[in-house]
Amino acid sequence: MKFRKLKRAAGIVLSMALVLGSLAGCSGGGAQESGDGGAGSSNQAGSGGGKQAMGRFLEEDVTLPIVLSTVYDMKKLEDGTIRILGDNGDNGARTIWDSKDSGVNWEKAFDVPAEIQDQGDGYVDHAALSSDGQSIWAYNKIEDDAITQILYLVSKDGEVSQVPFELPDAKGGSSKSFEDGEETGDGGAGMVKNMVLDLCFLDPGQVLLKDISDIIYQINVGDGSVAHTYDFSGAEDTHQIYMAGNKLVVATSTEVLVYDTETGEQQQTEEALQKSVSESGMLTAVDTVDAGESIYCLTGNGLYHYKFGGSVMEQLIDGTMNTLGAPAFYPIALTMLDEENYMVAATDLNSDALGGITLLRYTWSADTPAKPDKELKVYSLYNNRELRQSVSKFQKEHTDVYVNYQVAMSEENGMTVSDALKTLTTEIMAGKGPDLMLLDGMPIKTYMEKGILKDITSLFQEDSGSYFENIRKAYQDSEGKVYAAPARFFIPMAQGGGAYYTPGEDFASFTSKQGVLANMQPETVVEKFWYSCGASWQKEDNTLDAEKVTEFLSQLKNAYGEYNGSAIEDTTAVAISEGGAVNELQKVSLSWGDFDLAFGRVNVNVGLYGRMDYGMLDAVNKKLGQGDYGLMPGQAEGVFVPAMVIGVSSKSAQPETAEAFVKYLFSPQAQKVSQLGGFPVEKESFRSMVDGHEYDNRDSDMRLMAGGSAAGSDEMLSYEMVPTPEEDIQKITKMVESFSVPALQDDVIKESVVEQGAKVLKGELSPEEATDAIMQKVNIYLAE
Amino acid sequence: MHGSGKDYREKLKKAPSKDHGNGKRWRGALWILPSFLGVLVFYLLPYADVARRSFFGAVDNQFVGLANYQAILGNTAFRLAVKNTVKFTLICVPTLVLLALACAVVLYQSKYGGVIKSAFLMPMALPAVSVALVWRLLFHSQGLFNYWLSHFGMEGRDWMNGQGAFWILVGSYIWKNLGYDIVLWMAGLSGISENIYEAAKVDGAGEWKCFLKITLPNLKPSLYTITVLSFLNSFKVFREAYLVAGDYPHEGIYMMQHLFNNWFRAFSFDKMAAAAVLESGVLLVLILLLQKAWDSGVE
Repeated sequence: MKFRKLKRAAGIVLSMALVLGSLAGCSGGGAQESGDGGAGSSNQAGSGGGKQAMGRFLEEDVTLPIVLSTVYDMKKLEDGTIRILGDNGDNGARTIWDSKDSGVNWEKAFDVPAEIQDQGDGYVDHAALSSDGQSIWAYNKIEDDAITQILYLVSKDGEVSQVPFELPDAKGGSSKSFEDGEETGDGGAGMVKNMVLDLCFLDPGQVLLKDISDIIYQINVGDGSVAHTYDFSGAEDTHQIYMAGNKLVVATSTEVLVYDTETGEQQQTEEALQKSVSESGMLTAVDTVDAGESIYCLTGNGLYHYKFGGSVMEQLIDGTMNTLGAPAFYPIALTMLDEENYMVAATDLNSDALGGITLLRYTWSADTPAKPDKELKVYSLYNNRELRQSVSKFQKEHTDVYVNYQVAMSEENGMTVSDALKTLTTEIMAGKGPDLMLLDGMPIKTYMEKGILKDITSLFQEDSGSYFENIRKAYQDSEGKVYAAPARFFIPMAQGGGAYYTPGEDFASFTSKQGVLANMQPETVVEKFWYSCGASWQKEDNTLDAEKVTEFLSQLKNAYGEYNGSAIEDTTAVAISEGGAVNELQKVSLSWGDFDLAFGRVNVNVGLYGRMDYGMLDAVNKKLGQGDYGLMPGQAEGVFVPAMVIGVSSKSAQPETAEAFVKYLFSPQAQKVSQLGGFPVEKESFRSMVDGHEYDNRDSDMRLMAGGSAAGSDEMLSYEMVPTPEEDIQKITKMVESFSVPALQDDVIKESVVEQGAKVLKGELSPEEATDAIMQKVNIYLAE
Repeated sequence: MHGSGKDYREKLKKAPSKDHGNGKRWRGALWILPSFLGVLVFYLLPYADVARRSFFGAVDNQFVGLANYQAILGNTAFRLAVKNTVKFTLICVPTLVLLALACAVVLYQSKYGGVIKSAFLMPMALPAVSVALVWRLLFHSQGLFNYWLSHFGMEGRDWMNGQGAFWILVGSYIWKNLGYDIVLWMAGLSGISENIYEAAKVDGAGEWKCFLKITLPNLKPSLYTITVLSFLNSFKVFREAYLVAGDYPHEGIYMMQHLFNNWFRAFSFDKMAAAAVLESGVLLVLILLLQKAWDSGVE
C-alpha cells in the first residue's frame, strides 16, 4: 500500500516534470539586446506587438577646404575646437586645421614648423594631439645611412621645441633596416636602433609612446624623464595604445588591458571589454567624454560604449549599416563631439580621395527608424570584400534599406559547401531564403534550370556599350534571358621567357615543351589549366568528352615532366600557402608565382589575373630578359573566369530592392571598388583599375621595393610605380574583348579532375586511368 | 454482486454488454491517441505530402502525372543506387543475422558472456565521425592498412576509391551492428525454457540436434524482429560512407541516400518524392512478406 502510493506520487511528479520541461523547451529564445534606450541606442528592431524602435545614427561626409593625403590625429580640444593634423595633398606640407563649429567649416591654424616638414632629410609616421591643442611629432631623421628618431613638441600656436628624450635601443639588440617605415631586414641600409610606432598624449605634460619592441614609455615632455614603462616585448601580438582619462588602454587582437598611469599598475581585467574584443574585433579608435569613466570605441562591427567596471558593451552604431563595417575602412581617430555626434577620420582604400582619407560625421536622428523597414537579404558562400564594401555604400545612399549580408562559410562554423547549399535549399523552400545571391561556388546552371533565379534581363538593357557585354551576359540562355550575371572576372594569364612561352600559342604547342611546367605544385597546375581547358570538355548533352580529358592530362604530364617534391617546397608559392590562411582564388593567382619565375625556380608562371600590377609584370619581364605575358594556353579559346556572379531569387520578398542593389553593383561607383576580387565588367572602371592613374604626378624618385621569398631574403625585385603604358592597357583590353566562353564552373567536376590530375603529374596514375576515375565519378553526378 | 461468480461469468458469455466492449475500445484508443497524433503529424502527413509531391514539379508545383516516376526509372544514377542498396542489403543482413546468432549461442553458454556482450556493443556507441576518421587512417592510399600490407610484400591501393570500398562498408556495418543483434538473439535464447533441453538430453539428443530442433524453432519470433531491425540499420551506414567519401563516392558504395542527398541540394524534390514513394512501397511489401512468413511459421 505504501509503495503503491509512492509509485503514484513518483509517476505524477515525473509526468509534471516532463510536461514542464517540454513547455520550457518550446519557449522562444531570450531577445538579444544590443544596447539600452535613450540617445545612445540604435538598431533595435521593434519587438512585440507594436511600435517600431526609433532613433539611429546617420552618416555623412565631412569636407575640408583642402585635400589631406594623410591624417595623423584628430581631437576635440578643451575649448570645443576640432583640430586635425595631416599632410596637405596639394603641396605635401604638414598642416593643422581647426573647426569651431563641429566640423562644418574649417580654417587653417598653421603649417607645422620647418623642422618637421619634409626637407628631404627625414619623414614623419606618427603624430598626436593633446586636449589643449599641443601636438607631438615623431620625426625620423635620416643621416649617414641611419635613422634617428626626434620628438618635436608643437604648442597650440605653432611654437616648436624638441622633447629631450632618446628612445633606448630596441630590445633584442640587433638593429633593423627600414625603408619608408617598413622593416626590410637586419642591418644594411637605413639602419635604425629603435622607432616610435605609436604615440598619444596622456595629458598636456605627458606622452605615451610605443617602440618597435612593443615597450610603452610614459614620458614627461618637459624634461624627457620616464615616469613608467609598460613592457610587452615578449608578446606575439601587436599592442595598440589608447588613452581614457588617466587610464592607459592597451589593445591586441585578443585582449584589452587597462593600466593606471599614475601608478603604472595594471588594473583589474574588464571582462565585458575583453569579451567584446573576441566578438567584435580589435579596437581601432578610442575616445572619452567623461575623463575616462567610460570609453567610446570603434571596431570592425561599429561603435561601442563601455563604462569601466560595467558588464555591458553597448553597441551604438551597427557597422554593417554604414561605412564603419566596410572591409577596407581603417579608422585613424574617433572624436566625440557630444553623445549624439561623433566624427571619424579614416583611411578608406576604396575611396577616390587622395590617400583614401575620409572624414565622417555621425549624427543621432531620433525620427529615423532604428532599423530600416526594408530588409534585403544577401547571401554568399564565401566572404566577398567587394560586396561588403558595396553593401556599406548602398546603405548609405538608401537609408530605408537594411542589407543583411550572410556568409555561409567561415573558419568558425566549419561548414562544408554541401552543407551550406543544403541549408540554403531548406531556407529557400521554406520561404526564408535570401533575396540576392552571390553565386560563386554554387551550381548556377542548376539554379537557372530549376527556376530559383529571377529573370533580370531588363536590368541590362541600358548602357550596354559601357560594359563588356561578352562577360556580363556569360549566362544568357538560348532565349536571350539573363538569370545570373558576373560583376567581375579574372583573366587566365601566363608569363614567361621567350624559350618557354610565346603569347598566343595553343595548348598543344605549349605543352609539347617537356618540363615547361616543372617545379610547381601538381594540384595547383591542374587547377589553373582547368580554367583554360575545362570549357572545351562538355559535349552538347552536358556529358564530358573523355578523349579531351585524356588528351589534357597527357599533354599536361608531358609539360610537367618528372615530379620533384623538394624543388616545389622551395618555391615562394608553397611558402605563402603554408604561411597562413589563403582562399581558393589566391592559390591560383598569377601574382603568387612572380618571384619563382623571376628567380628561375619555374620556367613559366600561370594563373588567374584579377588585379593590375603593371610594375611587377614589367619587373619580371625585365628580369627574364625577354619575358612577355599573355593569355594562358588552353584547349578552349577565349576563356575567362567569371567572378562575383549575381542572381536574384525568384522567391525574393523584396524583388524591387534586390534589383536596385543589382543595378548598384554594376554601377561605376561599385565597380571601382577593388579588393582583389577581379576586374570590373564596367569599362570605365576597368580602365581606371588598369591604367595606374594613381601614380600620376608622383615624384620620379619614388620607388617601391618589393622583395623577400622563401628561398632567401636577398631576392629583391624593384620597380617604379608608374602609370601603365597605353600599349599595355590596349593589350589587356583586347584580351578582355576577345573573351567569349566562361570557364567551366562546376566544382564537382573540378575537384575530381584536380584530384586525379595531380596523381597523373606525380606519376601515380596514367592519364587513361585518371580519366576513367574522373568519368566514373562525374557520370554519376551528371546522371543525377 | 448477486448470485455466484460462475453465474456472473455465464451471464457475460451469453449476453456481453455492447457498452462494456465499446467502452474498452474507446479507452484503449484514448491511451494511444497522443502517440498516434505524433505519428500522424510527424510521419503520416509528411509522407502524404511527399506522395503528393511525386506527381508535381519541384519548384513550380505544376501537375506532371507519372513523369517523375518515369524520369527516375530511366535515371542511371537511380538504377545504380538501387542496385548497390539491394546488393548491400542482400549481403549484409543475412551475414549479420547468422554471425550474430553464432556469437550469441557461444556467448550464451560462456560464463563471461555478459562482459563480452558489452564489449560487442561498444562499436554502436561510437560516433559516426570517429568511425569515419578511423576509416581514413586505415584505408587511405597512404594509410595504416597499406603500411601493414607492405610489410608482407603486398602492394597497397586507395581502398576507398576502388572495389574494396564496398567490402569496407560491409565490414563496417557488420562490426557496428553485431553487438546489437547479439543482444537481441541472447534475449531470445534466454526465453527458451531449460526444461526442454534437459528433456531432450535425457532422450539422447546431442548439442547439434538440440540446436536444430529446439533452439532454432523457438527463435523464429526473434528472427523476424532482428531481420527487420538489421534491415533498417543498414540504411544508417550512409553516415560513415558520406563522411569518408563525400557526396560522390566510388560507384560501388553509391547508395540511395547519396542520391537523395544530392537531389535535395539540387532542388530535385520531384524526383526525390517519387523515389521515396517507390522505396517505401518496396520496403512495406518486404516487411509484410516477412511478417506473413513468420506468421505461417508460428502456425
